[in-house]
Amino acid sequence: MKIALTLNGEQASADVEGDSQVLDVLREQFGLTGTKEGCGVGVCGACSVLVDGNPVSSCLYLAGMADGAEVWTVEGLAAKDPDLIEAFVECEGMQCGICTPGQVVAAAALRRHNPDPTEEEIRTWMSGNLCRCTGYGTIVEAVKRYVGRD
Amino acid sequence: MSAVTEFLAPRSVEEAVAILGADGDAVPIGGATALSPMIREGLLVPSRLVWLGRVPEWGAIAAGSTGVRIAAGATLADIAASATIRRLLPALAAAAGVAANPRVRAVATIGGHLAHADPRQDLTPVLLSAGAVCVVAGPSGERRVPLDELLVGFYETSLLAGEVITAVEVPADTVFRQVYARFNPASEDDYPTIGIAVQLELEPDGTVAGARLAAGGCAGRATLLEHTAAAIRQLPATDIDLAAVETAAANEIPVIGDHRGTERYKRLVAGVWARRAVAAAIAGGGPLLGRYPVV
Amino acid sequence: MTATRGAARLDARDKATGATRYVADLSLPGQLHVAVVRSPLPHAEIEAVDVSSALAAPGVVGVFTADDIGAPLFGRRVRDAPVLAVGKVRYVGEPVAAVVADTRRHAERAATLVDVAYRELPVVASAAEATAPEAPMVHDAPWDYPGAVVGPGDGPNLQSVVRRGDEDLTAEALRSAPVVVDALYTTPAGHQGYLEPQGCVARVGSDGLVEVWINNKSPYRLVGQLAASLGLEPDRIVVHPVPIGGDFGGKGSPMAAPLCVALSRLTGRPCRLVLRYSEDLTSTNPRHPTTMRVRLGADRDGHLLALRFDSLADGGAYAAFKPIASVNLHGVLEAGSPYRIPHRYIESRIAYTTTVPKGHARAPGAPQATFAVESAMDELAGRLGIDPVELRRRNVLGDGDPNPDGVVWIEARGREVLDAAVAALTPRPVPLGWQHGWGISLYDRATAPGQTSLRLLDDPDGGGVVAEVPIPETGTGNHTVVREGLARLLGLGRDRVRVVHVPTSDLPGDAGVGGSRVTASLSEAVERAAAAWAARTGSEPVVVSLGEAGGAERVTSFSAQIAQVAVDPETGQVRVLEIVSAVDVADIVNPAAHRMQIDGGAAMGFGFALLEDLKIEGGQVGAGNLGDFRMPTAHDLPALTTVLVTGGRGVGALNVKQIGELTNVPTAAAIANAVAAATGARIRSIPLTAEAVLSAMGAPE
Repeated sequence: MKIALTLNGEQASADVEGDSQVLDVLREQFGLTGTKEGCGVGVCGACSVLVDGNPVSSCLYLAGMADGAEVWTVEGLAAKDPDLIEAFVECEGMQCGICTPGQVVAAAALRRHNPDPTEEEIRTWMSGNLCRCTGYGTIVEAVKRYVGRD
Repeated sequence: MSAVTEFLAPRSVEEAVAILGADGDAVPIGGATALSPMIREGLLVPSRLVWLGRVPEWGAIAAGSTGVRIAAGATLADIAASATIRRLLPALAAAAGVAANPRVRAVATIGGHLAHADPRQDLTPVLLSAGAVCVVAGPSGERRVPLDELLVGFYETSLLAGEVITAVEVPADTVFRQVYARFNPASEDDYPTIGIAVQLELEPDGTVAGARLAAGGCAGRATLLEHTAAAIRQLPATDIDLAAVETAAANEIPVIGDHRGTERYKRLVAGVWARRAVAAAIAGGGPLLGRYPVV
Repeated sequence: MTATRGAARLDARDKATGATRYVADLSLPGQLHVAVVRSPLPHAEIEAVDVSSALAAPGVVGVFTADDIGAPLFGRRVRDAPVLAVGKVRYVGEPVAAVVADTRRHAERAATLVDVAYRELPVVASAAEATAPEAPMVHDAPWDYPGAVVGPGDGPNLQSVVRRGDEDLTAEALRSAPVVVDALYTTPAGHQGYLEPQGCVARVGSDGLVEVWINNKSPYRLVGQLAASLGLEPDRIVVHPVPIGGDFGGKGSPMAAPLCVALSRLTGRPCRLVLRYSEDLTSTNPRHPTTMRVRLGADRDGHLLALRFDSLADGGAYAAFKPIASVNLHGVLEAGSPYRIPHRYIESRIAYTTTVPKGHARAPGAPQATFAVESAMDELAGRLGIDPVELRRRNVLGDGDPNPDGVVWIEARGREVLDAAVAALTPRPVPLGWQHGWGISLYDRATAPGQTSLRLLDDPDGGGVVAEVPIPETGTGNHTVVREGLARLLGLGRDRVRVVHVPTSDLPGDAGVGGSRVTASLSEAVERAAAAWAARTGSEPVVVSLGEAGGAERVTSFSAQIAQVAVDPETGQVRVLEIVSAVDVADIVNPAAHRMQIDGGAAMGFGFALLEDLKIEGGQVGAGNLGDFRMPTAHDLPALTTVLVTGGRGVGALNVKQIGELTNVPTAAAIANAVAAATGARIRSIPLTAEAVLSAMGAPE
């Protein structure tokens, strides 16, 4: 089936199978490999993207549901919102980096939903994105910096 | 095995029901968050995926004279954020706000949540305690099914072939006191080991005019705790014997042991949390128990 | 140094924007995709494999079994793991056949069509079952495998047995000790928890050149392992540089490489296999579940007299995933290392079972052994009526003291870290009705040397220097360490040092990431290279190649952790309020990366103590996805407080000590000791669940 979407601010279309997930379409058809496959069951958050402003697990989100939607991946958010990337770079909010694009997308989604979150709200929201390396301290600091809380 | 799955997004419930009625291998989806991993792993190969998200007003939430009508496509995030639900069904809003993670909450729908019938879910016991009724559309028309009759067992409902949930009607009144206790001792982000929902209706003189309790995470399906509730009805709230509530709930709850606890342990903590939830409802505190602040 | 934030990390921007390309992000021209048909049974004979339906499926290029690839075996030390099962399967998840197709989807779908007929064999579900008399043999003659370290006389189903110390003298000391703790401790199987699944792309050219792209942290070792497994010439194998999405010990084995190379040889095209996470969780190389009996004797004043430590670990179906010469777990063989113990005897056995093969996980064996010994220390303190911190202070190594192996470190700062941890402790508020307690635990770990090499050359793009390194970036920041070290020693700005990870064909060698040695090894290589660079007269590149880098001096580092907990006496729920980590450090190259090693380690220790369990039962991994194998989230973690006990003497010109495996090790005992202090309940088995705590509270010691 054919789907048309706004991808990182530009019109795009793709030919997908009825049970394709957005993650595979992004990575395999659009070459947007910044979105990573981790757990494959919606738990780890490495594949987070924004669909119509909401964070979703692209490993769960069916491509057909994205027809007509506005989708932002880490690549698009990085180009559109340099402060988001700077916050993670300056706070060194990563180690191996495999979860980092998902953390970045989650931070962008948080600011849309709650422009002035407390640390507790940051930790609760970001608890949907696993990181095995860092112990989360520098990631939480990056999010705080991004939302202007540090 | 069908090689190709077709994705359909009908614009009306009638159209969806017609497709589902004609094809027994077609699967309706709300947000597909539960089914998608099975599709990804090849465990589920539907002939058609029938997504209801294009049906007009599919996510509408509206207050009526006796309660709230939540269209089946309302997401958990919609429910958590809805001013109507926060006011009239605060425990439902709270449960919807802590289930899973922000990405799942943004996509998973209440209709899919109930039709999936995973016994570990958070909204189901709250809706049971509130006396929710599901509006179901199918090939032979529309029917209304009390949630307690919809739930059958482990991932099993009484929905018939071709039927979909279109809305959930929840009796609600600001005089009701709702509490949801979510006990997940290992990780805040785990499914609950046990979830206890309480709804009390107090007369102005403090008498418990109505009481409903329900439990999730315990057995094959979320369950009403009828005997426990009956034991507190018509009593002045100050006379409720909380120790008896604990014992009654522990005795009444149907439990199957799993990785989150043996039968004995779940029974014991169900009693403890039933007691705490009733006490919290009487005291009129917040609608959510069992979450602890970030340290 | 200005601050902890200095944009010091060279890979930060690419990682944050998603530009970093990991193995799953690579696409080679003409590549084919592999899906693995895995055993659903823990132990069975393969009677027949019917590939006809799979072969007819869309996009399928071929379906292959052991017969097609010549039944090769692979391994890091013992070569006992079949690339594809040969005649038998020995764990649920073992590769039986491989489907090669044009897309991943086609390969995976066709894999479900391969029909394998099995005849079930007896399950050997645990190390205890495996070592019982008359146990069914998992392998008919394990001693015949290349590299085997056991013989027929060692007893049934053993991968390795190591005995260390004097058994008789230890027994005698325990017999005459006035106080002896004798207790059994158990720990579960746990996945390393890296979020990037194992993956590999291999291309065998028509000229026979084998090229491999893989998230393997020891690429030079992999060359040797592949050569041995597939009968190839090592100099015809090139492992290309790929960043690694998390390691924690789990990314050091050949994994999919032998299979992908074999399939590329058969198909003549690049072959790519990236595991689904559910496959990775259930069929790679998790941490050994371990049962340990501790006998710890002391005099009435609390001076340790003897330790006997008997460990039995479940090694799973194959020993292939353990790299050290003894095919054992070094952490177990070092039990009790922080203390003066006159007599210590250790017996460490690792058994074959019909479960997923076990491998290395961050400080292999040490989290298990430290949980046991440090719990026993508190039990001993209780028996003696001595404060647990004081008991440790009386026994911890001081300068000049030999450790139980007779090693004298250049300094021993255990007392300092103990005192620093205690000084940092402030009681935190506890929910009404909950019980409060805190517990301590101590660990020390040596800085070990390792092989490495480095090349410096003039940067053609702008006058700086290019440093070619042999070692992958696993996330710890090792490439940044090289840049930082060279910038300092050569007096260059960071932007004039470019670090490039190069293929294995380009440098002499490297031992890989592991053993907490990378910063130490690389910093010595950096020091030598910088000196040679400064002394060079022309513009020729400088190459350093070191067989033993970064451990000439006998350096150890101590860490002490205090866990502060609250326990709900009605449900047994444990809330860890804080973990204080006091660590013994010298100079710090990158403060942010150093901190993340500490915090991330404590988080991993927290998960090991309270959450993580693969729940292997009857040969089957019960936790089949990351929803069931819980790892700590940002919300779960307690406050992580770090005290850097600075001023230590480290290694090399950068004066560094290891950090990567100091804080994940002591955590479980600190938490168990805290729970015991809060409730009186002693938990000797982890993960420490609410149910176990409540049950132990009902039945006090």
